[in-house]
Amino acid sequence: MNLTLPRFFLREFRKRRKKTALITFALFWGTLCVLILLAFGRGMSAQSRVAFSGLGENLIMISGGQSSIVHGGLAKGRLIRVYPNDIEDLKKRIPEIAVIAPESYNGWPVSARGKELNRTVHGTTPEFAGLRTQIPQPGGRFINADDEAEGRKVAFIGWKVAADFFGGEEAVGKEIIVNRVPFTVIGVLQKKIQNSMYQGPDADQVYLPFSAFSQIDSQPYLDRIHVQPRELGLSKLVEERIRTVLGRKYRFDPADRYALGIWNTIDNAREQEKIFKRIEIFLGVIGALTLFIGAVGVTNLMYAVVRERTQEIGIKMAVGARRRTIVLQFILETLFIFAKGTFWGFITAFNIVGLVRLIPLSEEGFGIGAYLLRPVFSMDIFFIFLGIVGTLVFLAGIFPATRASRLNPIEALRYE
Amino acid sequence: MSKAETIIELRGIKKVYQMGGHALEALSGVSLEIGRGEFVSVMGPSGSGKSTLMNIIGCLDTPTSGEYYLEGKNVAGLTFDQLSSIRNQKLGFVFQNFNLLTYATAWENVEVPLLFNGKNARRRRQRITELLEAVGLLDWKEHRPSELSGGEQQRIALARALANDPPILLADEPTGNLDSKSGEDIMGLLGGLWKEGRTIVMVTHDDRIAAHSERTIRLFDGQVA
Repeated sequence: MNLTLPRFFLREFRKRRKKTALITFALFWGTLCVLILLAFGRGMSAQSRVAFSGLGENLIMISGGQSSIVHGGLAKGRLIRVYPNDIEDLKKRIPEIAVIAPESYNGWPVSARGKELNRTVHGTTPEFAGLRTQIPQPGGRFINADDEAEGRKVAFIGWKVAADFFGGEEAVGKEIIVNRVPFTVIGVLQKKIQNSMYQGPDADQVYLPFSAFSQIDSQPYLDRIHVQPRELGLSKLVEERIRTVLGRKYRFDPADRYALGIWNTIDNAREQEKIFKRIEIFLGVIGALTLFIGAVGVTNLMYAVVRERTQEIGIKMAVGARRRTIVLQFILETLFIFAKGTFWGFITAFNIVGLVRLIPLSEEGFGIGAYLLRPVFSMDIFFIFLGIVGTLVFLAGIFPATRASRLNPIEALRYE
Repeated sequence: MSKAETIIELRGIKKVYQMGGHALEALSGVSLEIGRGEFVSVMGPSGSGKSTLMNIIGCLDTPTSGEYYLEGKNVAGLTFDQLSSIRNQKLGFVFQNFNLLTYATAWENVEVPLLFNGKNARRRRQRITELLEAVGLLDWKEHRPSELSGGEQQRIALARALANDPPILLADEPTGNLDSKSGEDIMGLLGGLWKEGRTIVMVTHDDRIAAHSERTIRLFDGQVA
């Protein structure tokens, strides 16, 4: 391919770049704004997912309730409890359950190094770690099967509990007294963001093996059973099966919504995701409108620039430019402007997103900052953007150029 | 001078402009012949159609009717791009108001027709140097039109017109915007080009300028008088 003309056009473009600086800037600014807007929208969606997974992913939580329907000759208003042996029953009867774990808790004084604090202490099994995103900090671990089998006096603690008692020191291996019984710390929860909870954030909790917990707690029933279905789509089915299995066992109507407290986080997560998707779409619409206004501006500027150059087109025609040469020049110039504006817009947006992501988040709960300070830059958004703006700018450049190229050379020369 | 060969032949050329509602006939049936190597001046009062005639001869405009043979070939039926290549290679045009690219240097202005003719960088460089030397402006090659005098701008325009060594040079009031000294310079250059064998057609309303030519065609009300 002969690059003589393109090179000449690039040279002309460089000489005259001041004339197109405004267009380049408009493109730069538009690119920057839209990309940042969409990155924040996408970031909010993504963060809502992260925040929800702070509690646990694809989780169904079952607690006791009170029957509200007369069933099998029994009056309504009976207290329904779930018990440790339900774990085995549910596992056996509902093959769609992938993971299941019991949980009981009690508020007790917890002390170490002469300091005493009231904390919620939980008893659970190793499966709980995966269900509830309990990831230990390096050098520690969660409760394991041996701890559970042997009823070891070990504890896994939230990072704030560790900080409360041991400051910056390594907590693993240290002793804490729970309800007057000594336990050895085996792990500290890694920091995470969490936007849903029932006994306060996991950062403040103490976890013991269920077997050890049972020895110091007198409550025979469980506070919660945590269930994870094999697939997301099975969550409703599993929920219904649980009602059926436990309904037969404890004699309540499976249709009784109050007999068991079921918290299906999958539903919650879906709802929340829907809300954030909508916010993302909303921001996308705002972005599209911004883009449209910008495109109108750019079109206008392009049009003015091309008109201003009608005489130049005439001169070029007079010395032998062909129509397609004229059109090619404008297409290339449009391309240069477009490439320059969007390139710098992209670079700037990319860096701003990167910088914002560096801002540390506070671990206190899950505030607005967590949603706003983690924008996600996605290439698919960028490419869609490029396609739309590219088309608009291209049209804005090609129309006046084609029109100008159709003039007689003499008409173009005389154009004022 | 013996007319060895006709290079430009017009037969019954008419040009009608639609101005608002009514038609304005700028040329009403012009027929003329110009031989290869002739230096012809076209004279006539304002509004006689001189410039319109030049623009048609220069393929910058198309006639409403009539036939135009350039080197024996009917130009009327040619496409825009074919006309472009005629303007590029067969015709050199010098305008009264120079029509240089204001943002480009003298060098670059002369380069444009060479670029459109697909000349490579080395040949362009060689040719531009030759041309700027011929018009005595090689030292001004990096200057823009705004940094040059009228006479210098017209010399650049002349160098551009000659870029692809066209057999025909068309000049529409080439000295119209120049002082007499610069005008004489331009006429000197045109005279030299004619002696080299180029055909020159020049529009002027100045008898002294027309005196440089071999033959004068007089136009009056869109017709050869």
